[in-house]
Order: sequence, then structure tokens, then C-alpha cells
Amino acid sequence: MSEPLGLAPIILALPLIAAILAAICSRIGLAKIAHVPLILACAVAAVLAILLVLKVGEGDQHQWVSDPITWFAAGNLKVNFTLTVDPLSSIMLAMVTFIATWIAIFSSGYMHGDKGYGRYFAVMSLFVFSMCGLVLANNFLLLVAFWEGVGLCSYLLVGYYFEKPSAAAAARKAFLVTRIGDTGFLLGIFLLWKMGGWNTDLTVLFQYLAQNPPDQAELTTACLLLFCGAVGKSAQFPLYVWLPDAMEGPTPVSALIHAATMVTAGVYLLARCAPLFAMAPDAQVIVAWIGGITALLAAFIALAQTDLKRVLAYSTVSQLGFMFLALGTAGVISPVFAVTAAMFHLFTHAFFKALLFLTAGSVMHAMGGVIDVRRFGGLRKLMPVTHLTFLCGAAALAGIPLLSGFWSKDLVLESLAAASESDRPYTGAYFALMLIAFLTAFMTAFYTFRAYFLTFWGPERIPEEAGHHAHESPAVMTIPLLVLAVGALFVGIVAEPFTHWFSHFLGHTPSLEQATLASGAKAIEHHFNWTIAGLSTGFALGGVLVAFLMYRKGTETLPAAIEPVFALSRNKLYVDEIYNAAIVKPAGVLAMLAKAFDGFLDALARLTSSIPRFIGEWVRPLQNGLVQFYALSMALGLTVFVAFVVLRVTR
Amino acid sequence: MITLWHYLAVAAALFGIGLVGFLTRRNMITMFLCAEMMLQGVAINFVAFARYHGNLHGQVFVMFILAVAACEAGIALALVLMLYKRGKSLDASDWQSLRELGVPPAIDTVPLDIEKPEAEPTLAPAGVRPTLTASEEAARV
Repeated sequence: MSEPLGLAPIILALPLIAAILAAICSRIGLAKIAHVPLILACAVAAVLAILLVLKVGEGDQHQWVSDPITWFAAGNLKVNFTLTVDPLSSIMLAMVTFIATWIAIFSSGYMHGDKGYGRYFAVMSLFVFSMCGLVLANNFLLLVAFWEGVGLCSYLLVGYYFEKPSAAAAARKAFLVTRIGDTGFLLGIFLLWKMGGWNTDLTVLFQYLAQNPPDQAELTTACLLLFCGAVGKSAQFPLYVWLPDAMEGPTPVSALIHAATMVTAGVYLLARCAPLFAMAPDAQVIVAWIGGITALLAAFIALAQTDLKRVLAYSTVSQLGFMFLALGTAGVISPVFAVTAAMFHLFTHAFFKALLFLTAGSVMHAMGGVIDVRRFGGLRKLMPVTHLTFLCGAAALAGIPLLSGFWSKDLVLESLAAASESDRPYTGAYFALMLIAFLTAFMTAFYTFRAYFLTFWGPERIPEEAGHHAHESPAVMTIPLLVLAVGALFVGIVAEPFTHWFSHFLGHTPSLEQATLASGAKAIEHHFNWTIAGLSTGFALGGVLVAFLMYRKGTETLPAAIEPVFALSRNKLYVDEIYNAAIVKPAGVLAMLAKAFDGFLDALARLTSSIPRFIGEWVRPLQNGLVQFYALSMALGLTVFVAFVVLRVTR
Repeated sequence: MITLWHYLAVAAALFGIGLVGFLTRRNMITMFLCAEMMLQGVAINFVAFARYHGNLHGQVFVMFILAVAACEAGIALALVLMLYKRGKSLDASDWQSLRELGVPPAIDTVPLDIEKPEAEPTLAPAGVRPTLTASEEAARV
């Protein structure tokens, strides 16, 4: 089974088996070993996925589509169970399984002794299965099925501590808000199904649309509807509000689902559908604008958050915005370049953001569940490994030169710069977006290092909740940190800047080649852009420097001049309050009206039903159980009837 | 001369007596007998008309009525017997449990006496000379 198509189902099946085993383990009293199936399955799947990447890269063929198996069919709608292996899906698969392996190992230490241990690992395995399915699916409706699968697992894991009302509310919010996007996603799929000759298989659909160019307005609508789904899942403006609340879940969950994998599903979707988006420049500029707005807004909110995990959550939202910025340029510039930039940023971001979340988890573990940066500080001596690994992650996120984040962020900025210099419309918009991206890069560096200094610098302060936990985490937690730290430092420099391995590898993806053909954009030469690199380095170092000057004492003392700005940021720009007033409250009023109307209808129904009851009340005494009475009424009735017949009818 | 009218008068009288008896009496066996009486009144009508018209249609009908009445008598008496076994009473108004919920049972202001059933005859144990009752004593003489 060395063929790529033989490996893919095995990778898909392993976590599913692990989920079943973990569920069985927790049922038969072996919950203590529930982590074993997940770790083994992820590790084997990761090895297989890396093999898959190597196999896909070599040779002439770069795409394999499995034979379609009909899942269900109704009229024109025919839904197949088909998987596809191409560079895009294989690299995503390798990333997901690799990160998941280390997070699973970390979890076995982090969740140790928790009473929902078995449940946690069963749902985590199910999540990895759904995510692999989402990556491999070659059919829109199959994709939706796995898409909802990861949504469900996210719901279950955010609400993992379901006794806590805030966790239950966060889980509900995450599910409902993403549902808004999913509605658009489904509509988009049906529109595409109609436009694309009643096909739902991705490859077939793209082929059909390439040969029969669709109506531009219709295509733009379809693309925007698909983008709705991505906005919901990948927490973009205006639907990003669920992601910061999702931090109620256990920290490794935040690392895996809400930083590295699930939230990037939207980016992956747009990368998969690049052949469609490349033909719809109007949709693309909206994608880019949404990405830019999100990046800036989330970075601004992250500036003053005091919850370490929330800083990271807003940072995730902001970095996802970066990815959408890059995706939004596909079509204006070569889609291969744009998608490579987005996917590369996704790839490096998965490493350093997973790392940052895990270190936050390590800090939280040591501090006895306290995650408010105002309550602890100076943990440099106490937790040396965590400190170093956090520094690696923060430096990578901030875009310090030569680290992963630097290279990928530069690719994003380069794609924006190229878009602003192209001969297509909207160059001004892309130029503005590039400025926004630079500003965001500055803010990113600032808030990341603000969190770093507040946590690890200054005098040592430990909250009393920490108790005897206040020490470095055990090896089972620090080793994943070290592995991911190495990834965060070096995965960028290894994969792209000198060898261009990543872009060449992704460039072989047939759908991206098709997108390039459809958009007619020129390929971009890979050259190192000194201006952009210098500017972004300057912004990043500037951000770090400002943070150093303000926070090197490890405490937050704000000059009065910027206090209002920070208050605005601390209150999340009042977005939740605005949503509450603009959507939740009117919906509540509507619900009250509906309830009143429902009560009116009920009263009407009750009135109708009371008529037979009254009649029944009235004639019930007739049924008194006396034989004589029945006989008498029979005789009298017969008499009346006969009298009627005799007197009337025979007259 | 006995005309058709006489037959019909007898039949009507029979039917009327049966009806009144059925409606007024509460003893189930009496009620059953009254019902039989009504049936025979009808049967007489049939016979009378058969003779009046000079054909056998009515006679045939009466044969059916008799057959059905015989079956009905068997079933009805069996039911009466079972009811009696349950409630030790032949009063039809004791059986009101099929009335609607919430309707109070109809209670006669002058209830019938529930007759105590006679003790079943028993044999004297073996080896003991039976003590004879007065009537037996008389019969032996």
C-alpha cells in the first residue's frame, strides 16, 4: 500500500479507530490509558502523512482522486464519497497530524487526573478524524459533513467543563456563530452545484467551470457565499466573536483546534477553491478587505487583554486575517503565489501558535488555573523551559528576522505588494491593505512581547491558587514544547526562503495551476524583496522595543495619554455589546412577540377544543350504565321514529 | 270467526307486556323472559300474516326466530349465571360499572332485598348417622 491513494484512507481511519478505542477505554474503566490510542494513531498517521508528502512531491503525477462511491443520490444531486491527494491536501494532512501528535502527548500530562480524561481523548481523536476527512474530501457535501464534524468536536471540547456556565455558554456561542457562516456555505455549495452542471465533486466541478465559464455575477455570489462559511469557521470579522470565548476549553484544545487546525479550515477551503476565486476579482477584494479589517481589529483588541489565552486568541484571529489577505490577492497576482503565501503562513502559524498556546497551558498548569497576567509575573526562573519556548514562539509570531513567522509574513506582504503593483483593478485597495498589514505586524510584535514581559519578567509573583503546583511542568509536557519550539524557529527557513521547496511543492497542485490559467495572471519570480523585509523587520523590532520599554518591569503602568485607547482595547471595542444591542436584544423582542402570538394561537386552539368538551359534559349523564334506562331510551327513540314514519312518510 | 285482527291484537298485547316487563323489572332472569315474550309476539305476527297471505314466508321466518332465540337463551342465561356468581345478585342495577366517568351511580330509593343464597347442601361425614330434617323424616315415613 505504498500508493498515495492507499495511504490516505489509512490516515483517515487511524484516528477514527482511536476515537472508538478511547471511548471503549473510558467505558470499561481504563480511562487512565485513553490517551494511548490517540497518541499512537496520530504518530503513525503523521509518519504516513510525511511519507505521503514525499511521494506526492516526486514524479509527474501530482493528483490522485479515489474512485467515487455513491454516498447518496436524489434526482440531480449525486454525492460521492471521494478522497483526493494532491500537494495542498498532503501538506495540510502532514501538518495536522504532526501537530496533533505533540498536542496529544502534551494533553496526557496536562489533563492528568481529570475526571473526563477518557471523554477528552475520545473527542480529540474524533476531531483529528474529522479534520483529516475535511482535508482529504473531494466532494463539497462530504466536505460539509466533516466541516460540521470538526464544528461538533469544537463544541464538545469548548464545553468540556460543562459544569461551568461560562464554558457552556461559550460552546453554545461558538456553535451558533459558526452556524451563521455555515448557512451561507451551504447556499454557496448549492449555487455552485447548479452552475457547475449538477456536480458536487470538487475536481469535476472545477473542470466543468473551466470549460463552461459561468456568469460573473453568479460566480461572485457563489464565492462570497463560500467565503461566508470560511468567515464563520476561521473567525473573521464580523463572526470572530466566538473564538476568544472558545478559550473556555482546555488549553491543548485551544492549541489544536482554535489555533493550529480547525480555524484554518476556512483558509484551506479558499485555497482549495482557488480556481473559482481566481475568476471572481470582485469577491477577492472583499475577501482581502475582510481579512485586513479582521487582522487590524483583532490586533488592536489583543493590545490590552489581560487574559494570556485571550491575547493569543485575538492574535490567532489577526493572523487568520493575514492569511485571508494573502488569499484575497489570488487572481490579481498569480494564485500559486497567493495561495502559497497563505498556506505557508498557515503552516508556520500552526507551529508557533500551537507552541504559544501550549506554553500558556504550561503556565496555567503551574499557576493552578490562573491565566490573568496581572496576577503572576517573573516566571523566568521558575519555569525556564516554558520561558524559553514561549520566547521562541513569541519571536516567531512577532516576525523577528530568520524565524518562521518572518518568512511567512513576508510572503503575505509581498503578495499584497505585488497585487498593488499589478495591472488589474483595485490596486489602491491592495495598497491600503498592505499598509494595514504593516501596522498589524507592528501591533502583533507589541502585544506578543507585552504578554511575554508581563508573564516572565520583573519580580516573581505567584497567585495563591498555585499552591504546590508552582514549578516547571513535567517532561511529558516540556518535550512537546521543545519540539514545537524547534519547529517555530526553523520550519520557515527550511521550507521556503532558500530552497523554495514549499512553493514549488504547492505549485504542482493541479487546482492551483488551473486557477493560474483561469486568472491569466503572470507567475511571480521568487526573489527576496529587501524593501518589504526591511520594513517588516523594522516594524517588528519597533513593536518589541516599545513593549520592552513599557513592560520590562513586568507590570502594566500606562501613561495617561494612551489609557483611553487601552480601555477601548480592553473592552474589545465594545463589539460584544454592540452585537448584543443590535442583534441579541431585537431577537429577544422578536422572540417575545412570537411567544405572545403563539399564546394567542394556543388560546384559540383551546377554545375550539373546549366546545366538544362542553357538549360532552352536558350529555355525559345519559351514559349511566343502567340497562333499563338504555332500553327505555331505545324504545322511546324507536317510537318517535316509527311515529314519524307513519305520520309523515306514509301520508 | 278469528280474523287477522285478533291475532295481531294478541301479538301486540304480548309485545307490550314484554316491553313493560323489560323496562320495569330489575331481575335479570325476568328481564330475559320479558325479552323472549316480545320475541314471541313478533313471531305470532309473522305466522298470522303468513296465514293471511297464504304463503310460507312468515312461517320460515319464525323458524329462524326460534333458532336464534334458542341460541340467545343459552348465551343470555350463561351471562346471567356468571354475573350472579360474581355479585351474588340478579339485580341489573347492581351492574353500573360501564357508566361514564364522573356520573354518579343511580341508586334506587327502595332497593331490592338482596336475597341470601341458601347454604349449599352438604353430606354428613362418613361413619356418622345423619341427622334428618323434619321433611326428610316425613318423606321416609
